Amino acid sequence: MTSLTVAASKPPVLRPGRIVLYVVLTVGAILMITPFVWMLLTAFKSNLEIAKFGWLPSELRWHNFVEAMQTAPFLRYFRNSLFIAVGETAFTLAVCTTAGYALAKLPIRGGKTLLNYFIVLLLVPFQIILVPLFLIVKSIPLFGGNNILGQGGIGWLNSWWGLIIPLGAAPLFTFLARQFYVSLPDQLAQAARVDGLGEFGIFWRIMTPLVKPALITIAVFQIEAAWNGFLWPLMITTSDDMRPLQLGLAIFSQNPAEIQWPYLMAGTALATLPMIVLFVFAQKRFVEGMANVGIKG
Amino acid sequence: MSTTLERPALSTPRKVSPSKDGRTLIRSQVRAGWALLAPALLHSAVFIVVPVIAVLVLSLTDYSFGDTWAWVGFGNYADLFRDVDFLASLWHTVLYAIVVIPISMAISLAVAVGLNQKIRGLSFFRTAFYIPTVTATVAVATIWLWIYNPGSGLANGFLSLFGFAPNRWLADPATALPSLMVVGIWQGLGTKVIIYLAALQGVSRDLLESADLDGASRWQRFANVTWPAIGPVQFFVLITSIVGTFQVFDLVYVMTQGGPGSETRVLVMDIYQNAFQDLKLGYASAETVIMMLVIAIFIAVGRLLQKADAND
Repeated sequence: MTSLTVAASKPPVLRPGRIVLYVVLTVGAILMITPFVWMLLTAFKSNLEIAKFGWLPSELRWHNFVEAMQTAPFLRYFRNSLFIAVGETAFTLAVCTTAGYALAKLPIRGGKTLLNYFIVLLLVPFQIILVPLFLIVKSIPLFGGNNILGQGGIGWLNSWWGLIIPLGAAPLFTFLARQFYVSLPDQLAQAARVDGLGEFGIFWRIMTPLVKPALITIAVFQIEAAWNGFLWPLMITTSDDMRPLQLGLAIFSQNPAEIQWPYLMAGTALATLPMIVLFVFAQKRFVEGMANVGIKG
Repeated sequence: MSTTLERPALSTPRKVSPSKDGRTLIRSQVRAGWALLAPALLHSAVFIVVPVIAVLVLSLTDYSFGDTWAWVGFGNYADLFRDVDFLASLWHTVLYAIVVIPISMAISLAVAVGLNQKIRGLSFFRTAFYIPTVTATVAVATIWLWIYNPGSGLANGFLSLFGFAPNRWLADPATALPSLMVVGIWQGLGTKVIIYLAALQGVSRDLLESADLDGASRWQRFANVTWPAIGPVQFFVLITSIVGTFQVFDLVYVMTQGGPGSETRVLVMDIYQNAFQDLKLGYASAETVIMMLVIAIFIAVGRLLQKADAND
């Protein structure tokens, strides 16, 4: 983040041009943040207050949050989202680091072709495959009442498996993991081999600890993607027990006759704040990851 | 694109002396390699490759979850072009892409250029622009649904400050789609700003300085040094934006459900309804294939524009 240090070391004189620049950027930043501020302010208001446009609530009604939880099972949705995000991230890290390492460091015949295979797949958007993906998930053998041929039952539909596995381990993350491992020196692995460490030991105990910061980048992106997912849970869940927060929120907001805006905004705050906090703490990872994908990809 | 992906030297297998020991060592590495790759290969084959092939095959059938189905050739495609809902969805999606992509790219680039001017508080501004991107589209859509509320929403409150009459926003056929576009642009800025900013920081300082010494103006430096240097990144941003805008669904689902009438109906929503409400899976698959082709056309046009720009 060279720009930060540059900005600190040499404060330029405030010319009129710079003042305009700061004003424009500040207005832009305000436009970006205002909707979230408005969300929070609304969450504290009473139903009487929101009948007319206004900014500040007359008092901070924290009990709105409690009542919102009673109107819809937001707390359960929240737990479900958390479970999906953690499960999917663990699955992604396990599958993508192993594959990325093999592509980067092990002498597989056709390794370059395989790398290109993952790069091509990385370009396939989920919306393109949504119809057949549903059929495949419905036909997973021996799950959800299916026989060995995948017939007769619902497979992974309406199950944690279905929510977590199909969208985990995206080729993008295999590719990213490969980029991280490829920059490690081969001598490290060679030295460990001489010391008699097996290939899996080299992967797990020597190489992987060295790319830990990079793995955090992958984890942060996967958590965000899993937390924010909507269409897939909408397609495959039928019971309220497994619905993630975004889906619960969408259903709650589709009841126009009796929308309770303060409650809805309290639920929305619950859905947005974890990701905003995650971003503020992991900003460096997000920015580096984005820049890496954008520039190298 | 692929040229930058390769970092030769490092990834090529080591030359090992052809001793027996060396060969068993290599063999154990190859075995470990396949073992480590197997889960990712299996996962991608089952959940990406097979579905891509399946969507092409399904599009030629009348499959609808039942036990019996038949080949219908290109019948689904022929039907689609007589389907008013589909044609409206296609038109709205294309319109959405044509409006949202250039505007959001231009604003993002301008913001990134601003942030690249050694300003104070860079990380604050970066956070502000990125927050809408990290938050779920459903949540963002819910907030904007309230902002656009005709009764006491922020949008009309803002208008009234300047003495304008309140608007019905999402409920008015004339303003519904533009209102969605505003949210799409607003939410999509963050990613592009960060990618552009990284690209701008990679533009050669020496080149910019020598252009400065040669007496090039600020604008000339941007047009002749910076703009060509960020060309590849522009193309990347363009492709991801095209794919992203064609996928628009969450926003529409929460804010308008495609209404009023079908004024904001978009492709993914039409596909979703055909497949999972009307259970016409073959038909929905044909629709997906058309969406794929339109995305490909957009990318090809983008490529041509970029080439023409580079040759200027």
